[in-house]
Amino acid sequence: MASADKILKALSDSLGKRIIQTRTLQPGKSYIQVQTGAHKDAVRIVLQEDNEAGVSAITGVDLGETIELMYHIRTCDTIITIGAEVPKKDAKIESITDIFPGANFHEREVSDLFGVTFEGHPNPKRLILPEDWPENVFPLRKEVSVANIPSKIGNFGVSKDEKHVSSEERLVNIVLGPQHPALIEPEKFSLRVDGEIVRGVEPRIGYVHRGIEKAAESRTYLQDIYLVERICGICNACHAACFCQTVEAIMGVSVPPRARYLRTIILELNRIHSHMLLLGHAGLEIGYETLFHYMWRDRELIMDIMEALTGNRVIASFITIGGVRRDLKEEDVPKIKAELTKLKERLSFYKNLFESDSTLKMRTRNVGVLSKQDALKLGVVGPVARGSGVNMDVRRDEPYAAYNEIPFNVITYDEGDSWARLMVRLDEVGESVNIIQYALDHLPTGPYRVRVPRTVPTGEAIGRVEAPRGELFYYVKSNGTAYPERVKVRTPTFANILSFVHIAEGGNVADVPASFVSLDPCFSCTDR
Amino acid sequence: MKWARLKSPWVLHFNSGACNACDIEVVALLTPRYDVERFGILLEPSPRHADILLTTGVVTRQCADRLKRIYEQMPEPKFVIAIGACACSGGVFEGNYNVIGGVDKVIPVDVYIPGCPPKPEAIIDGVVKLLKSIEGGKQSGKR
Repeated sequence: MASADKILKALSDSLGKRIIQTRTLQPGKSYIQVQTGAHKDAVRIVLQEDNEAGVSAITGVDLGETIELMYHIRTCDTIITIGAEVPKKDAKIESITDIFPGANFHEREVSDLFGVTFEGHPNPKRLILPEDWPENVFPLRKEVSVANIPSKIGNFGVSKDEKHVSSEERLVNIVLGPQHPALIEPEKFSLRVDGEIVRGVEPRIGYVHRGIEKAAESRTYLQDIYLVERICGICNACHAACFCQTVEAIMGVSVPPRARYLRTIILELNRIHSHMLLLGHAGLEIGYETLFHYMWRDRELIMDIMEALTGNRVIASFITIGGVRRDLKEEDVPKIKAELTKLKERLSFYKNLFESDSTLKMRTRNVGVLSKQDALKLGVVGPVARGSGVNMDVRRDEPYAAYNEIPFNVITYDEGDSWARLMVRLDEVGESVNIIQYALDHLPTGPYRVRVPRTVPTGEAIGRVEAPRGELFYYVKSNGTAYPERVKVRTPTFANILSFVHIAEGGNVADVPASFVSLDPCFSCTDR
Repeated sequence: MKWARLKSPWVLHFNSGACNACDIEVVALLTPRYDVERFGILLEPSPRHADILLTTGVVTRQCADRLKRIYEQMPEPKFVIAIGACACSGGVFEGNYNVIGGVDKVIPVDVYIPGCPPKPEAIIDGVVKLLKSIEGGKQSGKR
């Protein structure tokens, strides 16, 4: 653990003249622009200074003649951004995957969307765009408009079947997805198996890629709130909160206290419903259907509260720039409290069940183990990291909404197996119930939103929110109009999906669903 | 045959690019509060056993072939229900670079259920309306 100042000093000491400029994006968040080629050394220095640091995201921004690449590195309490520019005509930069394996997918994504070649990348294949996507069209470059991308309507060639025998002898390829009973969403995983043992996994994502980052550039900030909420229907409030927070940081708007508390309530409701959904789904995957039905029945209590508070069961559309869109009705408070008490009683039953049930134990204990070291190396976030003993939580490390005023515990387990990841979520549901009860008891009076102008001043900002699946990261750049210049979203599931490759290898084929579901995959988040 | 189809329709759920909001409402249908199994509606994992295809979400470029292939694998007579604004018309994602549009751009749709996401009650209502029109002699693949 090292403070940001110490890291910045180490950077300027060792890089010297290779640093082009240093500036502050927003209070506490520094941006260091280095010469192309020095970025790798810069990243290495930050990772050495803070042994729990990890690359949170890699953002590309089209500057016209050049493409700016930003390496956002998460340290113990903030984000340090290393920037480097590459010319658009010859977009090449050295890969950092060898010093930080978790950067693998981030680099492949930038390569797909911006056409930057990462030299020395171990597997520079297409990740997000479809196989039939035209060559040399990079959708997030500014000169590419939707109109000049050839349409596919009426031209549905059926894609080729995957090979079932691997090039290596004795190994057989099993293709999981895109339509598969164990996956609710479409995504493809090719498992190379030797008898019952998984020897390798090749994920192919992008089936749910809707091009939201590009679409956000052609919509106003207000319209973008509704767009980013639909990145993921499960953690929609977190996306809205993170986007609004980032835009508020550019505008310099501070949100009224009542709105901060109401935001906390909706974010925690989101967390409870997401965790319970996953715990139930985990029951289904390990062949414990009763648990699925029990969990989902109790989850309906939360759906009722969401409906009372926001008017909709799933997509909340509750948070807006400058506050929230509607107030909590005084007469709903006792009802919400009663439902939370009911839920709390059920939680002690589940806790007992998860600790003592032999079916759960057999299917999840010592299955899909991810050590703390690997968790840091792969840059996983949220309950996956906390299940491996990494003590990180944005709510505590960089408080937003009302989290600096509300007491809560960060749950960690050291086992690193599927069971630990599920237990983290179960315990967090209890913490979330406490947070909501505290917020309801201490709800400040006053306005619940401030009016803000439609246009946003020139600037850029980074926002982070602890979504149910982990750290959600937004980067927004404004050009002074009502339309953003660039919106970058790095979802927690995108950071976690690489760890599936790691934990499935060497395991049993039958354990694949159990270990997979414990990562809480959400492909609409992953692909955007 | 028709009697069996009306009393116990087997449904297949496919997400061709949804945000998961409609998907979790489809799953919520199976759970105790809504429990559509009491009407004989059974969620099937394989397209080859399904009578009704429940689709959610816009159709992305990468999913279009898959959606078509799943539809072709289903035995006749087959019916398609588009759930949610995106599946009906493309919704908020209409016009994005990797998006083809609503489900009816790729396969014929019999019932449209609007909403973002529609409530489970609305989905049940849509299925019941489809069953009623099948009872009245509706043929598959035609509006």
